[in-house]
Amino acid sequence: MPRRHLIIGGGTAGMNAMRTIREEEREPSEITLVSAEKPYSRMVLPYYLDRSIAEQHVFTTSAALLAQWKVKTHVGRRAAALDTKANVCTLDDGSKVEYDDCLIATGSSAVRAPVPGADGANVHSFWTLDECRGVIASVTPGSHVVMIGAGFISFTILNSILALGAKLTIVEVAPRILPRMIDDAGAEVIEEWLRAHGVTIRTNVKVTKIEDARGKKRVKFASGGDLVCDVVIMATGIKTNLEWLKDSGVRMNRGIIVDDHLRSNVPNVYAAGDVAEGRDLVSGQPALHAIEPTAQEHGRVVGANMAGKDVAYKGSLIINIVEVCHLDAASFGAWDDAKADTVVGAKRDRSAYRKYLFTGDRLTGAIIIGRSGDVWTTNDVGMLKGLVQTGVRLGRFKDYLKAHPFDVKTAYIASGTAGTLLPETVLGRPAKAPGETPVAV
Amino acid sequence: MKVLKITPERCTGCLRCEIACSYVQVGAFQPAKSVIRVSPFEGHTSYAPYTCTQCAEGWCMTACPVGAITINAAGAKDVLDDRCVGCKLCTIACPYGTVFYDASTRKAFKCNLCGGDPACVHACPTAAIEYEEVATRDWLHDFAAERASHVLATNGGRR
Amino acid sequence: MSPVTLSAPRQVGKPQPALPGGYAGQLLRVDLTKRKAWAEPWTPDEMRELIGGAGLGAMILYRETAKGKGNVSWDHPDNRLVLGTGPLAGLPVWGTGGLTVVTIGALTNGPTSTQANGFFGTNLKYCGYDAIIVQGQAKDWVYLYIDDDRIEIRDAKSYLGKDTWETQDALSRDLGLTGHQLSVYSIGPAGEHLVRFAAIQGDYGHVASKNGVGAVMGKKKLKAVAIVKGTKALRAADPRGLIQCADDIAHDLKTDPSARSLYEYGTLPGVVNLSKMGALPIRNYTTSLTGDVDMKSWEAPRLREGFDHRGHQCNACGMHHCHMSVIRQGPYKGKIVDEPEYEGWSGAGWTIGATDQSAVAWLNTQTDRACVDVNEFGWVIGWVMEGLEKGWLTKQQVGFDLKWGDVAGADRLLQMINRREGFGDLLAEGVKRASEKLGGEAAKAAIYTGKGASPRGHDHRARWEEMLDTATSSTATMETGNPVHQTELGLPARINPFDGVEVAKLVAGCRGRRAFEDSLGICIFTTRTRLENICRALSAATGWYYTVAEAMRFGRRTAAINRATALRCGLTPNLEVPSFRYGSTPHDGPAAGQAVSAQWEKMVDTWYKEVGYDRKGGKPLPQTLKDLGLDWLSKELWGKKA
Repeated sequence: MPRRHLIIGGGTAGMNAMRTIREEEREPSEITLVSAEKPYSRMVLPYYLDRSIAEQHVFTTSAALLAQWKVKTHVGRRAAALDTKANVCTLDDGSKVEYDDCLIATGSSAVRAPVPGADGANVHSFWTLDECRGVIASVTPGSHVVMIGAGFISFTILNSILALGAKLTIVEVAPRILPRMIDDAGAEVIEEWLRAHGVTIRTNVKVTKIEDARGKKRVKFASGGDLVCDVVIMATGIKTNLEWLKDSGVRMNRGIIVDDHLRSNVPNVYAAGDVAEGRDLVSGQPALHAIEPTAQEHGRVVGANMAGKDVAYKGSLIINIVEVCHLDAASFGAWDDAKADTVVGAKRDRSAYRKYLFTGDRLTGAIIIGRSGDVWTTNDVGMLKGLVQTGVRLGRFKDYLKAHPFDVKTAYIASGTAGTLLPETVLGRPAKAPGETPVAV
Repeated sequence: MKVLKITPERCTGCLRCEIACSYVQVGAFQPAKSVIRVSPFEGHTSYAPYTCTQCAEGWCMTACPVGAITINAAGAKDVLDDRCVGCKLCTIACPYGTVFYDASTRKAFKCNLCGGDPACVHACPTAAIEYEEVATRDWLHDFAAERASHVLATNGGRR
Repeated sequence: MSPVTLSAPRQVGKPQPALPGGYAGQLLRVDLTKRKAWAEPWTPDEMRELIGGAGLGAMILYRETAKGKGNVSWDHPDNRLVLGTGPLAGLPVWGTGGLTVVTIGALTNGPTSTQANGFFGTNLKYCGYDAIIVQGQAKDWVYLYIDDDRIEIRDAKSYLGKDTWETQDALSRDLGLTGHQLSVYSIGPAGEHLVRFAAIQGDYGHVASKNGVGAVMGKKKLKAVAIVKGTKALRAADPRGLIQCADDIAHDLKTDPSARSLYEYGTLPGVVNLSKMGALPIRNYTTSLTGDVDMKSWEAPRLREGFDHRGHQCNACGMHHCHMSVIRQGPYKGKIVDEPEYEGWSGAGWTIGATDQSAVAWLNTQTDRACVDVNEFGWVIGWVMEGLEKGWLTKQQVGFDLKWGDVAGADRLLQMINRREGFGDLLAEGVKRASEKLGGEAAKAAIYTGKGASPRGHDHRARWEEMLDTATSSTATMETGNPVHQTELGLPARINPFDGVEVAKLVAGCRGRRAFEDSLGICIFTTRTRLENICRALSAATGWYYTVAEAMRFGRRTAAINRATALRCGLTPNLEVPSFRYGSTPHDGPAAGQAVSAQWEKMVDTWYKEVGYDRKGGKPLPQTLKDLGLDWLSKELWGKKA
């Protein structure tokens, strides 16, 4: 069994991997963590942004806990190169770490649209803790914030910006909001809701330039109609942090190509999270899922395998949920599969929308929008996930679901989804509670 | 571990479990805040309560990015309010649809077996919900499949 | 249809006193003429004085339906349709989904208080309202949609002609809400066609049936009220006390010998029990003998086991009452029906000579769906069957022949009544008007009271207290009923049921209890415990200290107010007589020879004396009103001389 584990990246995948190693291992091993930042949860940053939690709350571990787990840390350092023949990782300060096996979990970073002024003062990205601090410092009550990009990232911080008392305008180059998470009709429901809640949205507009304008920012568009504002947030996408692996021999496509044990072509090099092109549960094909749940599952599976277990991964499911002004929007699996048999349900007066995509008699994708306070929405959110995750055969309940898109529970229960799920675990054993992880053997 | 054993044939759809549950959750009678929910099958003739199975995987617990979901003394997955930030990841990770979100407190909430003495069990007038040392299973499947078939048979799923 | 915006509650200058627990705190006022709906706050003082349901409704009718010295008629736009619930609704006490409908009804053209259960009160209160007050008349058919603060008067054209179950099915489907997420109370074709005994039905099987409340709703062109289960909180002043009290009531209902059979079987045991007293109405009161019917098969356990039965309880209820049944055999095999109450077995069964249980169960549900009062249905159909048998009605008149026990024929007639087709048009007026129109033998065979109320589904010739109660009532049905523990009120546990004076004293002594119960938002069956327990539940919910004495005083106050409205409607003491057949003497069975007519005057005289009302004019006497704290009413009824 490998004695020296190297974990590169202290995000969700890395943290879960380390914890699972400690949970699973039967013999003592060394863990070394290389992390550019002190580990924190990116999911939580929007809540720090609107001050509903203190900064301390964002961190996912502490020096004391890492010491308890006997993790050697190189925090503040980045991996610069990987020599997969010598099993050595070189860090950005030139120091070297030897390993028996290693996990690449270096995640992604924000990218800004290549327009003049994108790197100017008071133009921010929102991805890292540092970037979050930058936004906090510049958004004040009454300030006008222009958010460039109407994707998932912008929507996760939309509530926070409004909670800070700022006026918000969202601009998007695509014809509609959330192009990679929701379909056209769903986007319309959300847009309508947001407008009713005082958010200005401009779609189909291309930013050409961001200028300084007497202490303010001026955002210029190809179609005219400049916006003058106090703060610009660029949420125009992310890219995986993989450049440093260029000469490592690790095979990459859009991400690192991994097998069902999340091993790369180099047997003692694993990849997890945003950088791993793992199996997509619905299509069975390799896919890059830059989402938290995938990072978490990847991390745990890798951790178990590093600890000497043999855990095959079934694949990850694309799931996204975002709440804007108390409206929930979620999508699962192959929600944009044009070949699927599709049914749509809408209750415009309740801002509720459903779209179900079937392949044969299995649900392979879904979109759900509804008011957060509506408990039945939350109920159905989970059940739709269960249906897509298990891929149970709905049989005659497929037609039922098509006829009654707002009665998910009948189809879910009558098709035995819960029973299919009960024995299912990611690691082949019950999960442990946080804090239950034993100290290093 | 003791689990909520559901005997759907006994449920009459009176929703008293929801009222009792909400009283434990929020200190008021407010079924909208209940974590056990009664659903109809076969139109209006068959009902059954549905709640968290306290599943082995604990999808909600493993998904939580801040470790806010733990296992309490009763063996139930329990939300720690002071840790939960309200990101909703657990509500979407749970494939059973039994983790909820309270927009007024911005916290997730779910069945925690009332710490080992579930109120729904006391409230149920017909013992459709019992708290017993048995292996959990899909209590509703057969019942729902049978009862819902009546609806399908009579009108092809269209009421 | 444009949505109606709900205006915010009126702001009052000084700080509002704290609401008693149990209340949602607002009344929902709906003006269909103006197509407007708004919330009205009501004060803690009003809550204590009027409680809700019957009490609140009685005051609204009295205050808002006067017209000159008289009253608006049932079909006038100014008639009010109060759909009320009460402080216990939505709470964990058993059977608390209560709906009490108060209006000027179509059968007597006087006040009514008639209740049903289900989830009306639950859903409404969780939306934030204690009652709905409907006034005006819509131009086109509408339904009322309530979803927390969102109140809309919506187009109902697509639901027209649908029966009540179909209406609820369609609304559930259209609104995408299943089960008790949506509570729907609607009228069927009968209400649409202003059948005078049309009812309001909700949540599959719960019927507010008396005095043509469905016709009132129909006249207002209000097809349905659809209430989404609200998301708001209800608080009890003493929640632990309330839960404890709910458990005590449950224990009492389960174990007390007088309530236990009701707990186990609902009202099913009534058929056999009443038949033994001669109080089961058979073939339009033409006999009291069950003949060659195997009465063992009518005992409650067998009656229930004859069906594939399923619980379908009201809010928080543990009674084994209110079931759904699937018919196992015969022409109606596979049909889902509401397990008939005793009243269904009698009105859709014995009264019309039908004793095939599957067929009766089916017909009973047909009446719920159509939707008419099953008692009046029985009196109408039984009367037609008797007429055809005896020849004072002809096949040509009716349109077809109809023999005792012909369930399919009865349904055919029901559908004709529903749509006022052919002979159905006359029958839709109710048996009193129909028989008076035909006169002669036909007039003598009809069962009704002088005020026009439909008696409950008993043979009251063997239950004088109910006949007296129904005949003197100001609410078009039994106004009093008797309590489970009448000794609690200082009344004798047993009386001679055929001694008019004892009967009158008992009825007068219990007066008030029904109005109290119908004001709480709770079922009349789950209140079959000590009144003291109900008062305890009310106290724990509200934070008042409510005593049995206050409860009775409250009920009598409500009865006095209803009496004042009824008099304004012309329902005077001279009408307080049974019809010829209703007051006749049974010639066979256990009560054979007991002649109520011989003791009627004495019985009514005694009742008037005991309740402290003026025998001649019918008004509550000034002293009675004073004792009830109704000095204001005394002034209005008696003028300065009081």
